[in-house]
Amino acid sequence: MRSLRARLLVGGLLWTLGLVLVTEVVVRQLSQRGVPGIRIHYGAMSILAIGLLATGLTFAHIGLSPVGRLRARLAAVRSGQDARVAGHYPTEVQSLVDDLNALLDDREKSIARAQAHAGNLAHGLKTPLAVLAQEASRATDPALGSAITQQVERMRRQMDYHLAHARAAASGSVLGTRCQVAESVEPLIRTLQRLYADRSLSFESALLLDHAVRCQREDLDEMLGNLLDNACQWARSRVSVASSVEHTSVRIVVEDDGPGIPVELRETVLQRGVRADESAAGSGLGLAIVRDLAGLYGGSIELGASPLGGLRATLKLPAA
Amino acid sequence: MRVLIAEDEPALARQLADSLGQAGYAVDAAGDGARAEFLGQTETYDAVVLDLGLPGMDGLTVLRRWREAGMAAPVLVLTARGSWHEKVQGIDGGADDYVSKPFRMEEVLARLRALIRRSSGQVQPELRAGDVTLDPRGARVMRGDTPVKLTSHEFRVLSYLMHQRGRVVSQAELTEHIYAQDYDRDSNTVEVFIARLRRKVGPGVIETVRGLGYRVAAE
Repeated sequence: MRSLRARLLVGGLLWTLGLVLVTEVVVRQLSQRGVPGIRIHYGAMSILAIGLLATGLTFAHIGLSPVGRLRARLAAVRSGQDARVAGHYPTEVQSLVDDLNALLDDREKSIARAQAHAGNLAHGLKTPLAVLAQEASRATDPALGSAITQQVERMRRQMDYHLAHARAAASGSVLGTRCQVAESVEPLIRTLQRLYADRSLSFESALLLDHAVRCQREDLDEMLGNLLDNACQWARSRVSVASSVEHTSVRIVVEDDGPGIPVELRETVLQRGVRADESAAGSGLGLAIVRDLAGLYGGSIELGASPLGGLRATLKLPAA
Repeated sequence: MRVLIAEDEPALARQLADSLGQAGYAVDAAGDGARAEFLGQTETYDAVVLDLGLPGMDGLTVLRRWREAGMAAPVLVLTARGSWHEKVQGIDGGADDYVSKPFRMEEVLARLRALIRRSSGQVQPELRAGDVTLDPRGARVMRGDTPVKLTSHEFRVLSYLMHQRGRVVSQAELTEHIYAQDYDRDSNTVEVFIARLRRKVGPGVIETVRGLGYRVAAE
């Protein structure tokens, strides 16, 4: 018998059967000995019996309902809506829920540790690499110098690429993550205005405050930062960002009035990953990272032509 | 022009100091957060190169304390942690520009020049006064079509005055911007540099404003 409900019902039936038999035996014994004064009021007895039966069934039903609730809560945790199993449960179930929450705590901590170690490894290597790159640029043998410079650049790309992935792969499974698009875009625009202070770019943003996506803040920052930075690099004077809701996802559109990317090259730009060693520093890798991060969150990125004249990048992420 | 380098990796700090020195800057170095905070608040710099991963007190805290104390010099942040989330924190903490490690030295120099130019309100990369042209990109000075040979101190005096074009600069202010901190300042006086500069770039470029200081006239 796999079902808990069936087991309880069978148990209840057997118990009732036993009770009936015992009652029968006792009543017979008593009537044989001729004990006087036992009068059975059949009407009242049957009402009472029906009432008891109904109450018993209701109790059995209510008794099992926490299991259903627990299932719904677990589904919410799994989908990322909740971080922990919430609510109060009967004693036996509650201890189970507490254990489950403790397990989630442990898991989150070990993910955070692994993430921190990956980060420390990458960042720890970058300063020695910076030293190496400077030494290479002063090397007396220019061929040796440029070979080292090239390899340092390859290592940097490898680290940036895999670090972004390690972070996202871990945080994609961190539970209960919800992030407002506007909260991420506004600081990024502030930052880019400072970084591109020489360029007098104008930023237009059309974002609704209640547009939120299921994503870690760091990763949303990374995706939008790369898209907006790319737009700033190529724009002549205008960069725009807008968000809209479409079914169960949020569309974030970043546009610029620069030269854009020809149709035949758009896919190549997104594919360009760690292997594109020959391309200049910082070019292309950004969009490839955005594509991979979006993919990890069940989203996507699409490149097209903007009415402003340049590139239009459409990032779709699951709504929260 | 005087620059502070706050970087804890000695090899990298030395490379930065060498390159900035060759580009004509007076350079001070701090190897930890507390020293960086102290120098930034007590000395006068035209720009700062700040590593965020400093021991003792991290770079972001140093930066916030500088800004709270009213330190206004442009800060170029140098960091191994180059994610956008961290860039936002750095800029919000008061940084002006960002370079991720590993970097190319030319990039650091170019960004530093742009920051100094912007903070002194100059638009063109080349600075002009009369027939004298100063190009911070190559630490080169031309008088008409002839290159002028200047010592590093002379270059810093001229560069600072030309960045502050149109404004009277006192001798004390000039002193603060041309010497590194540990330099023996008494051995070379500003008057000597000014006199030598006038011989090399022509007498009309630097005016003496009696009792106040020196000025390179605006166009």
